[in-house]
Amino acid sequence: MESIPGNGRSKLRLVFARPEYSSLVILIVMVVIAAILQRNFFRPSSLFLTIDAFSPLILLTMGQAVVMISGSFDLSSGTALSLYTCVLTWVMKNGEPVTGLYALLLTLAVAVLVGVINGIGAGYLRISSVVVTFATSFIWLGVGLFIRPTPGGESVNWFNAFYDFGNVKGMPAVLSSIGSVVPPVLILVLVACLIWYIVSRTKTGRYIYAVGGNEESAYRSGISTARIQILAYVVNSLFVFLAALFFVGQNQSGDARFGDPFTLRTIAAAVVGGIALTGGRGSVYAAIVGAIIISLVNKIIFFANISYAYGTFVAGLIVIIAIAGSQVYTVYSRRAVAAKRTPK
Amino acid sequence: MNTAAPPARSNAVVELYSRNKRIITAFLAVVGVFIVGQILVPGFFNLHQVLITTKLASFIALFGLCQMLVMSAGGAGLDLSVGYTATFTAIFTATVMSGQNGNLWLAILMALGIGLLVGAANGLLSAYVRLPSLVVTLAMSQILQGIINVYTAGRLISGKPSPVLQILAAKATGSFPNIVFLLVAVAIVVMVILYRTKLGATLFGVGENETAAYLSGINTKRVRTIAFMMSGMLASLIGLLLLGNMGVAFKDMGSDYVLPSIAAAVVGGVSLQGGDGNYIGVILGAILLQTVLNLLVALGWGDAGKWTGFGIVLYLLLMAYVGNRRRR
Repeated sequence: MESIPGNGRSKLRLVFARPEYSSLVILIVMVVIAAILQRNFFRPSSLFLTIDAFSPLILLTMGQAVVMISGSFDLSSGTALSLYTCVLTWVMKNGEPVTGLYALLLTLAVAVLVGVINGIGAGYLRISSVVVTFATSFIWLGVGLFIRPTPGGESVNWFNAFYDFGNVKGMPAVLSSIGSVVPPVLILVLVACLIWYIVSRTKTGRYIYAVGGNEESAYRSGISTARIQILAYVVNSLFVFLAALFFVGQNQSGDARFGDPFTLRTIAAAVVGGIALTGGRGSVYAAIVGAIIISLVNKIIFFANISYAYGTFVAGLIVIIAIAGSQVYTVYSRRAVAAKRTPK
Repeated sequence: MNTAAPPARSNAVVELYSRNKRIITAFLAVVGVFIVGQILVPGFFNLHQVLITTKLASFIALFGLCQMLVMSAGGAGLDLSVGYTATFTAIFTATVMSGQNGNLWLAILMALGIGLLVGAANGLLSAYVRLPSLVVTLAMSQILQGIINVYTAGRLISGKPSPVLQILAAKATGSFPNIVFLLVAVAIVVMVILYRTKLGATLFGVGENETAAYLSGINTKRVRTIAFMMSGMLASLIGLLLLGNMGVAFKDMGSDYVLPSIAAAVVGGVSLQGGDGNYIGVILGAILLQTVLNLLVALGWGDAGKWTGFGIVLYLLLMAYVGNRRRR
């Protein structure tokens, strides 16, 4: 490569032109700032807590990313998350381990139904997804409030496995010692990654990108665009369901109102992670980076001793700077690539 | 001429209907909800209830105007920052007015200034830097919320609206709330500006077909920025009215109106793709949503029933409007 410097450099430029790399650069800067502000940032015990705190947004953002790649938005994922915690804690009875299984199955069915209802509105009925999912977000909120007017509920002991192995009775010592070093929530993130890995390897995965990139031509080339959009919403629902498992494991209770603030952060996180708002472009794994960046913003605000009052202000400012930065970066790098590619 | 007249007239009726299909549908839906309400909750349909509904809907309709301006300029525009712009103005002008009419002009100037700044920032970032307005205006509302939090941390929000604002927003003439007269005046002005001036034509033109507007010499980015600035200034002035209605300013006074205002605009027939919109429809959309909410509250199912019903009704309304969408 060194012998042909021009060629090597152009290849390097092509690599850096991918929008995911701009978010990687931001991530590194953020981690450095966080590590400077929080002295024990890299200590295992503190990393453990950090991962626990970041994972829900990571899972929700992965789901949002799938929906956004398919060319839609989901403004209901926050209230859907609340609804799942309500359903889970509604079915489960403390001291009856088998009810946990029933809860899992019922909530999974609810999650699929939620995805299908959103998908039918946005995909089949072709209503603007922003408005449809705004409407359904009220349905999830209302149903959640029917089940659980005030926060509370019961959980079974083995649900602790999603949060802390140490609290699970009868857990083998080996596993609980592993669980005290590696946060169990990473299993949920891995499951999400695995689901997406499998989906993205199939024809369906390609179709999700095709539908998001250009729905009309995807339709004309014989893809059932409505079915693909419904599927994208169902995958999103599954990821939100995984996040709900973590919350019930952590809090042992359900709450119909706590999830809503997550919704718009997932969109910001996905954008920062390089998912195109117009659909069809971006990587779900890169969205994880975006979610970590958005979470780090809050962490930095906390450790910089900025008072809570300034928190929302700084967070809003950083979101604008981050997306403006990634937009400018993408435009410039694409120009650089285009300049390289034009014939001399 | 005489022989051709009858078909021409019936064509005109058909055209009048098809052009105002959504407005007529929205109006019939409002009447329908009131009839259903009367059957389910006896006494739901009376003048008092209608007037209360109209008053509450007025604020949604006014915020809906902000959304309509931004949405009809195209580019998937939405303004989520209207709620906090209004709150921001209300909190900072309450101190200035402190219950006197004397400083009302200063408060209005402040409101216009705040709205102009917020709108300009939204417009520049979404039109020129080409960031999605959904994210930009959301972040903007967070920034405003942050400033409000800093300002109000550990202190009481002092000040009262000027009496003129209270008369305008909270009081009634006879049994008619004054805000309804204001809304009618605003509606007339808006309809004249949007349908009888160059500005309106330009706005819809940019929303309808950006490329065509650009090629015919319109600075499309500037038009979009102006739409955001108008939305910001309007939201700011609505903040004064909210303050007049409530009597005091508080931290979240405007945020509950944001999403209903978008819903009202969509139900009222404003296309999210831009280039289309009729303010009468938006007002009817706001009244429809408010009537549905009132009915759900009157049924006495509490918050759960209220939100579930609101969501389902909104979903069904959207489904009903799909008939107007492009079919394949």
